Amino acid sequence: MAEPARGRIAWFQEYGVYAAVGVLLLFNAAFTPHFLALDNFRTQLVQVAPIVIVALGMALVIGTEGIDLSVGSVMALSASVIALYLGYGAAPAILMAVLAGALVGAANGALVAFVGVQPIVATLALLVGVRGLANVLLPQLKEFVNPTLVAIGSDSVAGIPIVVLAAVALTAAVAFVVRRTTFGRQLVAVGGNRAASRLSGLPVRRILLTVYVISGALAAVAGVLATSRLQASDPTSLGLFMELSAITAVVVGGTPLSGGRVRVLGTVMGAVLMQLLQATLIKHNLPQSWTQMAQAVIILAAVYAARERR
Amino acid sequence: MRAALVLAAAAVVLTGCAKAEAPTATANPADAQAQQQVVKSPSAPAGGGCTIAQHGSPKFDLKSAVVGFSQSEKEANPFRIAETKSIKDEAAKLGIANLKVTNAQSQFSKQISDVQQLIAQGAQLLVIAPLNSDGWEPVLQQAAAKKVPIITIDRKINARHCADYVTFIGSDFTEQGRRAADQMIEALGGKGKVAILLGAPGNNVTTERTNGFKEQIAAKAPDIEITFEQTGEFTREKGQQVTEQLIQSNPDIDGIYAENDEMALGAVTALKGAGKKPGDVKIVSIDGTRGAVQGIVDGWIYAVIESNPRFGQLAFATAQKFLDGEPIPEKVIIEDREYDSANAKDSLGQAY
Repeated sequence: MAEPARGRIAWFQEYGVYAAVGVLLLFNAAFTPHFLALDNFRTQLVQVAPIVIVALGMALVIGTEGIDLSVGSVMALSASVIALYLGYGAAPAILMAVLAGALVGAANGALVAFVGVQPIVATLALLVGVRGLANVLLPQLKEFVNPTLVAIGSDSVAGIPIVVLAAVALTAAVAFVVRRTTFGRQLVAVGGNRAASRLSGLPVRRILLTVYVISGALAAVAGVLATSRLQASDPTSLGLFMELSAITAVVVGGTPLSGGRVRVLGTVMGAVLMQLLQATLIKHNLPQSWTQMAQAVIILAAVYAARERR
Repeated sequence: MRAALVLAAAAVVLTGCAKAEAPTATANPADAQAQQQVVKSPSAPAGGGCTIAQHGSPKFDLKSAVVGFSQSEKEANPFRIAETKSIKDEAAKLGIANLKVTNAQSQFSKQISDVQQLIAQGAQLLVIAPLNSDGWEPVLQQAAAKKVPIITIDRKINARHCADYVTFIGSDFTEQGRRAADQMIEALGGKGKVAILLGAPGNNVTTERTNGFKEQIAAKAPDIEITFEQTGEFTREKGQQVTEQLIQSNPDIDGIYAENDEMALGAVTALKGAGKKPGDVKIVSIDGTRGAVQGIVDGWIYAVIESNPRFGQLAFATAQKFLDGEPIPEKVIIEDREYDSANAKDSLGQAY
């Protein structure tokens, strides 16, 4: 391939997602009524926050050349656990929910790291099992009135919704871990070349286990936030197909599925892009099938760009 | 197996010292009789009904018979919970000792094998809440071979009346849509902009509730404009998210027609979040769950058209008539009630 073309692809891969978000913003500013209102941006950010948080965990897992299909079910489990423990107050309930998520993550990680099951198989098993568990714990939607939990879902600090602040804080934390810590380097090394990592003495199994625990805990946090926004625990439908949204965000954000690289901001932008796309089509009252087709085009473009990498 | 044990252990650990939030509402269904379904049409079959002689089923005593009930979706929403409970309660009341209940967990292939199991277990009467209308041939063949009468409830199956099934008992979803439109017309005084929160795409309930609503609006209130229709997939979360987008881009919306109660309640959460007051946007929905009827009492929802899930009494009464040799019509359409601000408070105990 000629140099300029290769350069274009590289640029597209690096900045394509930002460019696409920019184009969508410009389009909406011009053609969507009331798009430039502050409330509108707040709505989009609030809706995308749980997806961003799940996608952060997913990006780490994908960075190790793995995948975590159980995240949506973990959100449902988190919703169930909250309903079960809300009698003790909001903080213990949230703590238990995140703990439950981390436990599921540990089960995923143990299967992958110690038993040697393929990540897609191991986490598929938990996708099914954990959704079932969530439904056993809480068979149907349950509303709650706990003021703290309701406030988490609907209040703002300095004009920014708490849900969004949580997503920003977690993004910063994950970005710090990936860029500035030994663990971050090790994670990428394991994803890039597992055999070499093992030979050079990295604790590969521990790293894998930790990554899945983080992913489970983040999914549980997303479940807490989504539940607090809904003002009801809904283990039947909360988080359905969330694993696909998260994987899409990660891939569109430029993290290769082959591991060895994690793009944190790209992942956030990937989630924002999908959210904006959906919002644009809803606001223009186009049928849902259009959204799905547009998403497919974007995913294909992202995968095509990634193909040129190696 | 090991995974199942681990999950079971996890369930025990997670619930070990659980303590749920204290319940807030104490509304209890007081007068169970008042909520039973009433037949709307046809009250007396006009000649062409299906008799036991035509069907070929042997006569049997309902009380000592093996009766199979196949539920389609898991009992995770109020409608399915009330439906299954109503069948079980009525069987218990009639003294039917041998009721076998299965649940297909929303998987059609499982429902087919469920019903085949029921036939194999010697079911003499089948009550089926079908997940789909098509694809029932394997079951119908087996049932026909053994001359087992089939009653389907809440959804139809596409098959031959009398040869394949005895009757269908259910609501008229198009009519529900029309009645929702009537309520919306009343709420808006015949003029304004309305958004529709559609149900799951590709579902006959969605199609019929949409068509009925649009027909009636077009016929009776041409000044009402339907400016927005997006799917909320029958869930509260999607209903909330779509409504949030809607009130950003169409702040002049006057009414929202939600094709089920869950989406309506999601819309209420979205409107609250956007700082609206009860009644700013008129909401009309369909189902009649307790949460939505409470929404009318609180002023957020204008009216709810009921879709009555309590099939038990009517299903077994129809079966008894069939066994007594009476002709049974192809369809038994039930009468659904409606809730509005006039009756919501008093009816709260009857909502499911």
